[in-house]
Amino acid sequence: MTTMNQPMLDSVDPEIMDRLVTRRDAIRHGASVSSTVAAGLAMGSVPVVIAALSRDAFAQTPSAVLDVLQFAFILESLENEFYRAVLGTSAVAAQNAAFATVRAQIPASAREVFAQIQKHEQQHTDFLRSTAIPLFGGTAPRLDANDFDFTGGNGSGNGPFLQATTRLDHLLLVAQAVEDTGVRAYKGQAGRLLINGDDRADVALESALRIHSVEARHAAKIRRIRRSLNLGDTSLRFSGYVRGGGVAAAGAGNISNPPAGAVAALGLIYGGEDNTVHTVFNGSAAADIDAATLSGMEVIGDATARRDAAMMAFDEPLTKEQVIAIVRGFIRDDAARGLP
Amino acid sequence: MQLLKRDIDPETPLAVSTPDELMRPGTRREFVRQMAAGGTVIMLPGVFAGCATVPLVAPGGLAFDLRSDVGILRLVHTLEQLEAAFYTAVVASANFATFFTSAERELFTDLRNVEIVHREFLRTALGSAAVPDVTGSINGATLAAILSSRANILGAAKLFEHLGVAGLNGAGKYLQDARNLLLAGKFVSVEARHAAALRDVAPGAGQNANTAFAGDDITDSNGMDVKLEAGAVLDRVASTNIVSNGAVSSRNITHAPTANQGRPSADFFPTTP
Repeated sequence: MTTMNQPMLDSVDPEIMDRLVTRRDAIRHGASVSSTVAAGLAMGSVPVVIAALSRDAFAQTPSAVLDVLQFAFILESLENEFYRAVLGTSAVAAQNAAFATVRAQIPASAREVFAQIQKHEQQHTDFLRSTAIPLFGGTAPRLDANDFDFTGGNGSGNGPFLQATTRLDHLLLVAQAVEDTGVRAYKGQAGRLLINGDDRADVALESALRIHSVEARHAAKIRRIRRSLNLGDTSLRFSGYVRGGGVAAAGAGNISNPPAGAVAALGLIYGGEDNTVHTVFNGSAAADIDAATLSGMEVIGDATARRDAAMMAFDEPLTKEQVIAIVRGFIRDDAARGLP
Repeated sequence: MQLLKRDIDPETPLAVSTPDELMRPGTRREFVRQMAAGGTVIMLPGVFAGCATVPLVAPGGLAFDLRSDVGILRLVHTLEQLEAAFYTAVVASANFATFFTSAERELFTDLRNVEIVHREFLRTALGSAAVPDVTGSINGATLAAILSSRANILGAAKLFEHLGVAGLNGAGKYLQDARNLLLAGKFVSVEARHAAALRDVAPGAGQNANTAFAGDDITDSNGMDVKLEAGAVLDRVASTNIVSNGAVSSRNITHAPTANQGRPSADFFPTTP
């Protein structure tokens, strides 16, 4: 039979000690404490107080959740307006015109794929604007197709991804990169949505997770299309996985003459995807485990094969700052509207 | 209590529809007799609905206490073990090369490798709390039936991957440590890539082959993916009969997540993912 598990309150994460010092000072100065902490103090129970503090020190706030949702809305709008321009359904004629050349090259099958993806991105923006953001008392940033430059040129219309408007291989690469950026962005923000027992935050977190996995489906499908057009490029897995890190993980060898700016951007978008060390908190301690060197994986093959598998087995997050660095060139600057 | 063989008919299954029935003397007596005689007891769904305080973990079954992150990760570890064992069997099966194209074989080999990594990672991460090897509970006859056709293999693979996506999407809100939530996020998008690739290879009957990867049956009107609470995941695993009766089902959840962790939400999962 199984081992009894220790409830998390029985243990304290040693990594929080720095935060505890700050929190102790906050308490000393009369800052409000949670009811659990207060109860623990009243009981004179040191373990309860420390355990509760450890949870409080990591606790998120509704304003953090709202910030994540508004950030997600900007990314979803970028994706949605990108596909609308590609499909020729943007409300802005110039965006449709920009993609006219490449649109004529898109096979009917891939057009159906793009249409399905665009439908989801529209649904995501609608949900965020009409349901999730209002749930936290906020309003979605005001955005329209004119706010985006899909060449990554920061409004110049002449950025490193300009060839996506005229060449199918570049277009597919950009679509894949956009989707994978979305996957990584949601993954990086999930922890900011975690407020246990808060029903509103639960809605935000579960919705974000369910959107996140749909974005991964999109990315995998586009990878499969790119592989089918370039059967010899085994960096693009039929499984739709991201293998390796940096520009190699993008499968950029799949396109001809990528501009240096595009290579640099892809390096950011896929940077760190080759990480194989992941952290788990087992209730009493945090452990960093290298998935590439575990025992029990002999059937996979040699050490290189096992490392490849370990790189594919975990998708990596990006921080908000990393995502902003990636998408800034695609969005017109306007800090007043919350746009990066 | 003395059991008399002549009192028992092992050929006639006993159906139990609510936990209360088990408490009635007549039902309880019959239950004990059936168990002693190697007979069959059918637990109808109503039994499990009322089992929060009366766990009925079958002998040899697993126990999941979902009040901690470790308990939730143990459930994930169980699924990863089953997936890894299944794909290992698929890749090693006699008909692998004839059932599947080279592109599909690459897909299944990647699936096998990645699920093995997930399995071994969680085994290491959970240490003494890791779920014991479940391969001994795999139902050989069921597995052989699945491996006997391309369609069966793809159908089972699609179900497993969608259960992985749905289960992780449903469990995230109960995790209490952001690092474990990030870990779950790293898993779930990979499972979603699997799910999409398999749907792309084998769209369901009547589905548009170009949109099946994220089809309208597995995304809701908000463009959101499948989602299941833990008990529903385990019962769907049980429904495949891939593991011997009782080893894995919602009965194995001894403790549901507490309200302080989060509350259950509506499930979203098609009959055939």
